[in-house]
Amino acid sequence: MLLAGARGIAAACLLLLFQSPSIRFDSSRSLFFLENWTDLATVPAERYADVFSVSVDAPDVPAMLGQYRVEGKALLFVPQYGIQPGVRYRAVARLPGMSPITSVVDIPKTVVKPTTVVDRVYPTTNLLPENQLKFYIQFSRPMARGFAYEHMYLLDEAGAKVPVPFLELTEELWDPDGRRFTIFFDPGRIKRGLLSQEELGPSLVQGKSYTFVVDKGWLDEEGNPLVADFRKTFKVVREDRKVVDVKGWSIRKPSSGTRNFLTVAFPEPLDHAILQREVEVFDSSGKAILGSVSIGAEEKSWIFTPAAAWKKGSYSIEVGTTVADLAGNMINRPFEIDVFEKVDNLARKTRTIKFNVE
Amino acid sequence: MIVRIDSAEKLTALSLDNVKHSSVPLPNPIAAASTGRSNRTQAITDLAFVNNRVFVAGLSNEEFSSALRSIPFPFNQADTGANVEIWHASHNRFETNSPIRTFLPYKVNNEDTILASYTCTPLVKIPVSSLKGGAKVKGTTIAEFGAGNTPLDMIAYSREGKNFILMSNTSRGVMKFSADGLEAFPPITGSVPGKGGVPYETVASLTNVVQMDQLDAQRAVVLQRTASGFDLHTVALP
Repeated sequence: MLLAGARGIAAACLLLLFQSPSIRFDSSRSLFFLENWTDLATVPAERYADVFSVSVDAPDVPAMLGQYRVEGKALLFVPQYGIQPGVRYRAVARLPGMSPITSVVDIPKTVVKPTTVVDRVYPTTNLLPENQLKFYIQFSRPMARGFAYEHMYLLDEAGAKVPVPFLELTEELWDPDGRRFTIFFDPGRIKRGLLSQEELGPSLVQGKSYTFVVDKGWLDEEGNPLVADFRKTFKVVREDRKVVDVKGWSIRKPSSGTRNFLTVAFPEPLDHAILQREVEVFDSSGKAILGSVSIGAEEKSWIFTPAAAWKKGSYSIEVGTTVADLAGNMINRPFEIDVFEKVDNLARKTRTIKFNVE
Repeated sequence: MIVRIDSAEKLTALSLDNVKHSSVPLPNPIAAASTGRSNRTQAITDLAFVNNRVFVAGLSNEEFSSALRSIPFPFNQADTGANVEIWHASHNRFETNSPIRTFLPYKVNNEDTILASYTCTPLVKIPVSSLKGGAKVKGTTIAEFGAGNTPLDMIAYSREGKNFILMSNTSRGVMKFSADGLEAFPPITGSVPGKGGVPYETVASLTNVVQMDQLDAQRAVVLQRTASGFDLHTVALP
């Protein structure tokens, strides 16, 4: 790592002969050492940064942040942030009465075959309303943060990029694992009566087709690109301004003594993420039934597998009113409320659907 | 991390290792216990301290809704604050409950007010006195600042007895408007097309500003996006 071949050997020989101060990089611990400097004990800790500093090997860059520590007779620099593969670092010792000692460290970039892919983009249906609210991009492995908006775009039928279709936020919207990214369409172009919609028009136009692209240059947590670009082509249908109504949902009931699925089917696709956490099953005593949830094809059904066999009796399915459709209309609340129309029951939190197991 | 930069451009990291601090958890509603965990998180978009309360604006990675949390300070375990839902009318007749992108505490006509701006750039005023736990508050839209744009930051300053607000934006530069007499602007609820309400000028000398703060009576510190990263420097207040 440290210097190249002959120079490194020469430096090592000098070190043996004269024990002159030298810099060493410990690649296994990512630490920089200043060794064999006999005056170390005379320098107060607050001056360590003046005598020994590490930076990226480029002109006009500040010293890296980090902490100093004395280990034996050596001064150590512990970088605050991890050493990056593919970056060249320069450590400089400016010791009183000596000319500066410089050491350049190349951190090789490990060439790894990309393995991370976009597993899926939700909604999975290829018919989206003109006022589609968001996409969830589900990756197979955790991703690097801070680069999202450079790596996704929307193409029209002619292959041209749709200008500013998405809401770009300083804080990227990741799930806790860094595997699911949420991208909202620019709400200004969805909501009626706003300048964005009046001046630019909606991002999506009914009857037209679009392709959403995630380019493979988006790096994963390890710094590797994706295996391939991801493309989702979809057609735009009319806008959806209606609330979600559980009255239109149908239930396929399981039989007692089995662990068969309980399936709730909807007439339209619903928001994948919210659906997963907002629907629960209770028995007649109000006890929650434990089990696992999966979401059916095109997010048009919720499928529950109980941990234990169903017993005869009456059950209720509680549905949180934040369950939303593709346009962000919820059970008790459309995405936009028309102030000239009365909206009832804003405060209600769940809807209940009853069923019996025979 | 917090870094100090002095006028000689020397960077010093402020060590947070043993720093005195207090904290409060932001409650994150979890999934139904019977079916597993939630992937819901909140990104904090802005926060401010007003009258012994900390106001935190956030955006969920699942629901598109406002979550302005009002937390008493000093923090205490018994009261971690409450969410306030804020609705505002758009140009026409529709109201939404949108996430606040940036906000500025400001006295409008001597009343403590939150001036909030949203992802599609309306400016909304909300009296602080109305921000009580569990309340559904209606904000008043007093300006529409344009399309295809997201506001990023706001600062207030005074010059020669006049008060101004600067607002930086993703695609519409830095806007400057008078902060005097904001109470006089009628709510925008009509269906008149075009920009409306509080008039503003665009500060031509300031581009790609993502964050601002007032440094002293004459200068602001701005963080500007450049082709290769970000530049931090001081500018004269316009």
